[in-house]
Amino acid sequence: MRARLLAIVSAFLCVASAAWGADRPDVKGLYLLADYPAVSVQPGTTANIPIKLQNYGVAPERLQLSVTGVPTGWTATLLGGGQPVAAAMPATDGGVSLELRLDVPSNAGSGTQTLSVEAKGEGHTVTLPIAVTLAQQLPAKLKVDTALPALRGTSKSSFEYQLTIKNDSGRNLTVSFAAQAPKNFETSFTEAYGSQELSSVAIEAGKSKDVKLKVRPPSTVDAGTYPVSVTVSAEGATAKTDVSLEIIGQPRLTISGRDGLLSMRAEAGQQATFPVIISNSGSAPADDVELSGSAPSGWKVEFNPKTIAKIEAGKDAEAQALITPTEKSLAGDYQTTLRASSRGETASSQVRVQVVTSTVWGIAGVGIIAAALLIMVGAVVRFGRR
Amino acid sequence: MRREGSAFQGLGTVVLKELSDQMSSIRIFVLELLVVALAVVSVALAIRQLGLTTAEDPFLLLRLFTVDNPPLPSFAGMLGFLIPLVAIGLGFDAISSEHNRRTLSRVLAQPIYRDALLMGKFLAGMATLGIMLLAMWLLVVGAGLFMLGVPPNGDEILRSLVFLLIALCYCGVWLAFAMLLSIVFRSAATAALIALGVWLFFVFIWPSLASVLAQVISPPDVRYVLLGLPTPGTIEMQQTLARFSPNQLFAEAVLAILSPSTRALGPIYLEQLQGAVMGTALPLQQSLLIAWPQIVGLIASTIVLFVAGYVVFQRQEVRA
Repeated sequence: MRARLLAIVSAFLCVASAAWGADRPDVKGLYLLADYPAVSVQPGTTANIPIKLQNYGVAPERLQLSVTGVPTGWTATLLGGGQPVAAAMPATDGGVSLELRLDVPSNAGSGTQTLSVEAKGEGHTVTLPIAVTLAQQLPAKLKVDTALPALRGTSKSSFEYQLTIKNDSGRNLTVSFAAQAPKNFETSFTEAYGSQELSSVAIEAGKSKDVKLKVRPPSTVDAGTYPVSVTVSAEGATAKTDVSLEIIGQPRLTISGRDGLLSMRAEAGQQATFPVIISNSGSAPADDVELSGSAPSGWKVEFNPKTIAKIEAGKDAEAQALITPTEKSLAGDYQTTLRASSRGETASSQVRVQVVTSTVWGIAGVGIIAAALLIMVGAVVRFGRR
Repeated sequence: MRREGSAFQGLGTVVLKELSDQMSSIRIFVLELLVVALAVVSVALAIRQLGLTTAEDPFLLLRLFTVDNPPLPSFAGMLGFLIPLVAIGLGFDAISSEHNRRTLSRVLAQPIYRDALLMGKFLAGMATLGIMLLAMWLLVVGAGLFMLGVPPNGDEILRSLVFLLIALCYCGVWLAFAMLLSIVFRSAATAALIALGVWLFFVFIWPSLASVLAQVISPPDVRYVLLGLPTPGTIEMQQTLARFSPNQLFAEAVLAILSPSTRALGPIYLEQLQGAVMGTALPLQQSLLIAWPQIVGLIASTIVLFVAGYVVFQRQEVRA
């Protein structure tokens, strides 16, 4: 009974092992494996080469590990599980992962060196030659692009360029940027969707990032086209792109009295004339300049002419402000505002109006005193006696 | 019958004689001493107050005249109160004393007309008051220079001189009034009592009476009362009534002249202040225009009172 049971089990095992063997290549023995048995290493760096010791259908055995053919000055260490190891013992149909760490001195020169990793047991000896090519690593490479390289606006607008920076090198890089703009132009880099200003940004190998360049021209800038060049750099690699901003001219108005005078006299209830000079110090002509003024309630502020058709850039125009304080105004100083506006551009200045009251009542007072004196003279004439 | 020669023949003689009489009179001496002593106290207090509180002020000298120093009123306020007293003291027995001493006929027996006598007495009184005012003005300006150490500017000097002239006009009103009483009443005591009564009436009673009368003549509007505001009509009426008092005219004129930022003496409506730059000084000419009606009132009432006295005096019988 027992013998029969054993026979069945062994038969089953035979079938199973036959099935096992069927979908596996018929390989037997011990092997040292490496994904890339020929690597390139930069002098002065450390390279880790993964290696595997594989057992195919062989009884487990202690295998002594060694590396031969190591050039002088190099250090080759076999690591297993993160520690230096001297022997390995893979189970049947099992493998042990190893790592060959190579410290290559910086004066190693160039060319190819071949090292051999050897695993030596009782019956087997396996060897894996590894070719190490000393080579300079690929240089860092950057690319910067912008979709809209030319923008247009006024001297008061802010110009925003979307820049795409691509890291074309095989390493992660920290890319810094700089912009060269004409004097007094203000430049800043921000995140593509954010307001935080940046000076550098980390870009993974092969990836790209969007940043925004903001250029603010000085408000006094003349009309014209101004170039701005953007330089991105990282570890000796640089890339450059040029953008430009076209500033269109804008009128800039100022309003003041003649010779800069901002005070005047006016009699209460009487119209007073105040000559105003409207000058355009901007870079484009101002069209349809409308003049207006605000004053205390009941006052009249008019202009002659009311509108000025055109003031060329850098030219002046003159108008008369006709200001009439109310009859009820008190003597003393009042503040009024005179305004000139052309489309979006406005200018204003405050004019102090010294209101004086009419002297008519003063003369009437003199008349009253004169009348009193006349009465006195009359009394003297009438009642004078010897 | 027409008279011969100028009506003012002998005027100079009368003025000089009267002036010398007044200058040597104990009564005037005491009155002036009183006024000058009060002025000195007032200015000393004002200087102490200014030294404590005033920052930079372009019209520091004028502040000497106007700053209040409790319990006493300001210098200008004190003058408004005391000038009538001195003027009444000078004028209440001007003519009646001549009557009572029976010297009037003797004087008129000289080649001096009544016109000249009356005018001479008036001018001498004005001269005495003018000397007193000038002395006080010099005292104030000198004390200001000495104690404050700030030299006054031209505008300040001009304004304080105008103030002096206004004070003189105010003196004129009361002097002419006192002389009118001295002509009308033979008894000096009656004239003095009536003059002092009128003075007290204008100082103490008229201001409150004016406000009561204004409420009667122009009753306050219910809408204003409900809002807790004074009715403009009532205020205007009250001010008009108050201005019948020479004291009020003097106070208002002084306010306009000595506070250069005064822009009006009547009620001010809010709309008149819109856009106004507050606290700025007016030019002297504008301040004068504001104070002008008050000044005219003072001058004209002086003349009218004098003429009334003159007419009464001319029609009186003078017997030896």
